[in-house]
Parts: sequence; C-alpha cells; structure tokens
Amino acid sequence: MLDVQPLPLPYFLLRVRVAAMEPAEPGQFVMVAGANRPEPYLRRAFSVYDQEAAADGSLVVSLLGKVVGRGTEALAACLPGERIPVLGPLGTGFHSVAARISGYDGSGSGRAALVAGGIGSAGLGLLAQALARAGRSFDFFYGGRSAEDLVEAETFRRLSERSGGRLMTTTEDGSAGERGLITTPLEAEIRAGTGYTTVCTCGPHGLMAAVAGIAAASGVAGEAATETPMGCGYGACLGCAVTLKNGGYALCCRQGPVFRLDEVAW
Amino acid sequence: MSGDAGRPSSPDLSTRVGPLRLENPILTASGTFGYGLEFAERADLHRLGGLVTKGLSLEPLAGNPPVRIAETRGGMLNSIGLQNIGVDRFLSDVLPGLKDLPPKVIVNLFGYARDEYVRLAERVDPYEGVAAVELNVSCPNVSKGGIEFGHDPDILAGLVRRVRSATGKPIVVKLSPNVTSPQDLGRAAKDGGADILSAVNTFVGMAIDTATMRPVLSTVRGGLSGPAIKPLALRIVFDVAREVDLPVIGIGGIETVDDVLEFLLAGASAVQVGTALFRDPRTAERLVDGLRERLRAEGLLSVASLIGRAARPE
Repeated sequence: MLDVQPLPLPYFLLRVRVAAMEPAEPGQFVMVAGANRPEPYLRRAFSVYDQEAAADGSLVVSLLGKVVGRGTEALAACLPGERIPVLGPLGTGFHSVAARISGYDGSGSGRAALVAGGIGSAGLGLLAQALARAGRSFDFFYGGRSAEDLVEAETFRRLSERSGGRLMTTTEDGSAGERGLITTPLEAEIRAGTGYTTVCTCGPHGLMAAVAGIAAASGVAGEAATETPMGCGYGACLGCAVTLKNGGYALCCRQGPVFRLDEVAW
Repeated sequence: MSGDAGRPSSPDLSTRVGPLRLENPILTASGTFGYGLEFAERADLHRLGGLVTKGLSLEPLAGNPPVRIAETRGGMLNSIGLQNIGVDRFLSDVLPGLKDLPPKVIVNLFGYARDEYVRLAERVDPYEGVAAVELNVSCPNVSKGGIEFGHDPDILAGLVRRVRSATGKPIVVKLSPNVTSPQDLGRAAKDGGADILSAVNTFVGMAIDTATMRPVLSTVRGGLSGPAIKPLALRIVFDVAREVDLPVIGIGGIETVDDVLEFLLAGASAVQVGTALFRDPRTAERLVDGLRERLRAEGLLSVASLIGRAARPE
C-alpha cells in the first residue's frame, strides 16, 4: 500500500502497488481487505478507479472509496507501507461489452453519456480515461446528495472536456450544480438530440434503474456497473446473484459487474 | 523411512479415510470451490488432497433469488439454493478435465426425493474419475428434500441403503449440525452402509437489516459458516468420531494450521476447507504447506499419528 489520500469525508483514495497484476479493463474490480485484520471476515470489492504501470513491471492501482461500514473503515485506516491482499482484476468490464454495442475504441461514431451517482463515479474512472484517449466524445453526468459527493468532479470535468464533451452536475440539496436528480439533465440532453449512442452508468440501484428506463425510451443502448454483496469476487460462492429480465440469475462477479441495461431486471 | 541419517525426512501427510487414500488431509468443501476446474488459475489444484464439487442435482438449478449472502462476525450466512449445472453437464464437461489431476474428486449429490439420490448415484457410478460420492442430506437452504433426510435416523438409514445398492463408490454422508445428536444420524448412516461421515454442514441462522427492518436474506434463514462455527463443529466431530465407528472428515471454519490440527486431534481423518477460500482462494494449498512445515518443526512423523489423539486417555 502506497498511501491513502484523504478526500472530503467520508471519501478516500487508496493507492496500492501490486507486484503482478494485469491492468484492469474499464469496469473491472479487485477484492481487497485491510492489513492483518481478522474482521470483517470477507474482502471488499472495489472498482479499479485508476491504474498506472510502473517501471519495475508492477501496477499501481487507485481505489476510490467511501467509508460505509467495517470493511471500508479498515481500508481507509491502512497505513502506508502496510501489505494488504489484492485479488484481481476480476469480472467483466465495459470494454468487452461496450465495444460490441457501439465501440469506444475509436472505430465507432457517436457519443457516450456517462452517468455517475456519488461513489459510483469510481466505476467509471477507467472508462472515462479510455474514451478520452480514443478521442470518443462523452458527457459526464455526476449526481450526488450534496457537494462533497461529487468528490472527483474536477477529474471528470478534465476528461470529458478533453474528449470534446462536458461535465454536468446536480445535487439534491443544491450545494453544487443544479438542484435535483442527475437524470433530469440526462433526459434534457437526449431530448435536445445530442446523439448519444451509448449510455454507461454506475451508482445507486435507483439511479441505474432510472437510466435504464430513459435509455430504453430513447432507444439508446447502454450498460451499468452493478453492485451486490459479494463473498469471494471470483465465482466460487455464487452469492452475488443479479436477477435478469429473462428470469434467470447472473453472477455479478463473473458475468458482471457490467451488464447491458436491457438485460437486468431493475 | 528413506531419509538419510541426521536429516529429518519429510513428514507423511497421507491419510486413509475408509476406502479413500489421500495424499494429504486437505480438501475443499462443497459449494466453496465450484466444480474445481474453473479456479485452476487462482489456486494450485495439484496440491490438494481432494476436492468436493458443488452439490449436483439431476437437473440444473438456478438457485435462490438475491440477497443470497450476509456477512456476520467471524463468518457469513448463505442461502445460495444449490445453484448448479446438473450432474450430466458436470460429467460431460467438467470431470474430463479433473480426472487426471492428483486430488481425489468427491461428487456432492443432492435430491428432492430418495429416488433422485439413487438416480444421481447410478449416473456417476461408471465414472472412474469419481473417487466417492458425498450425500448432501443437510442443506438448510431448500424448502424440501435434502434436510429431511438428514434429520431423521430411520429415513437417513433407508436413503443410504438405497444409494448403497446403486453404487460401488465410497459413500460419504454429510451430517447436519442442526440436530440434537449428530452422532445418532452418523450411526444411522453407518447402518445404511455409509463408508465415511463428513461433519458438519452449516448452522441455520439469520440476519436482519436494521435500516430496512427486514431479514437480509431473501429466504430469511441461511447457513452460517466461517471461523465463528469452528468450536461448535469441532465438538460435533469429536463426539461423532468417538461414538460412530466410521472415519470422519472434519468441516467448519477451518482456516489455519492450528484449526487443521485441532480437527485431526479431535478424530477427523481429513478436513474440508470452505469459507476461508472466499477470503483467499489459495488457503487450501497454503494449509498443505503449513501443515508439512508444522509437523516437521514439531518432529511429528505423520498425519495418521495425530488422528483422534485428543480423545485418548493421557
């Protein structure tokens, strides 16, 4: 573990150097735990928010987190130099799914809308970077309860503007951006004919469900990085079932965490 | 002993569990390691003494709706609902990749009715790669079947007798801890013709979400596993091993070398590692290495010499 960068509470950015790990695709995650702590018993799933290959072949992985319970508390309390277990990269990310739908590798045309609710922005970090790198224009919709929930707004402003798009923010209490829900500007932009061919979202279940509804109504394909309680993160415990529209279940950790918006039973 | 004089020879980790001979006493427990093969990249299967498959039924099962798991102090509750690919797909797609690996493959079988267990046993009987069958008669997470067979000695004896007539494979019966006297069920399994007992399955428990004020699990109740149950499981293994004349495979919250030793000393001839694999998929192979190191450091020659020692008079 390299450092824990304190962000406005209850957020934190944890950087860890992993000796041998393949770089994550956008939307993939790792399972991590605090150092030498018997409790909480299970590791926690974190989206890879950012990553950088070091000269010595190791990978420096950044995890954007929010303290919500015992697991995230233990991680936020990690000290620089402590060794923590990291398993990954895990799951199916945006890259493999999104490339099939409309492409963000530079080969497709059209624009993307990225919709984040609070800490859900962690799941869209690598995707925003990949889009900006490929020269695919995207708008970033960033919603939260309050100003401090838009913890990485400046990063996403920079990336979206570099891609030729822009950042739009809302908060429920009006302390930053427009007062209201982030789905309001998303719907307005779609109505205005911005030509989105993909909408990708990560955030609270209610937000992702609403985005799925908006995408379906406007005929835009899209994906969501979902979240469920996870036991192992690698497909062994079968605990992280996501209910699909066809009545079946898929494992969030293997078939997901990224699913097509139209295949999940929201 | 073939070691040179003055050089300690490697301790003998092998263990005989009834008709089964295992290279070492560490197995992976049913429902915690899939069908084995899919984790070949995350764990070194070659070093395991054996692996027990996810419970297999005649037809594929989709499992229970979410929420299926809840973390608790020192462990977790699960209510997976026996999601599995069905016995036929296991035999055609998975077993061929497993059968040439060193670990013994024990196939866990689950049915809703006695006849289903019999048909499952008949189905796997011809396959050489199947070292034994483990009957899941104690799953707390399905509304009918399974658990009924594991809670009544007469019904259990009858079930095992029928399965006995359907297969020549060694039969392991996985005991439920959710009964007053697991050893009575163990005796019934022996009467029916079982070769080995495994103890224990998960303890029925529940958790409530104080924010929603509703049970966490979709099925309300689930099975508790992890270090929290270790002392409870150890006591049952101790009693069953002393009172039933069958070899026992110990299961319940095993994560450290000390845990393994405790179960061996209590009378288990081997152990299964389960929930600890969720924390770290390499737990089982680490325990194999750790056990070898520990025996060497303590000057102990074999796993076999430890089995049941805590039950013998001083």
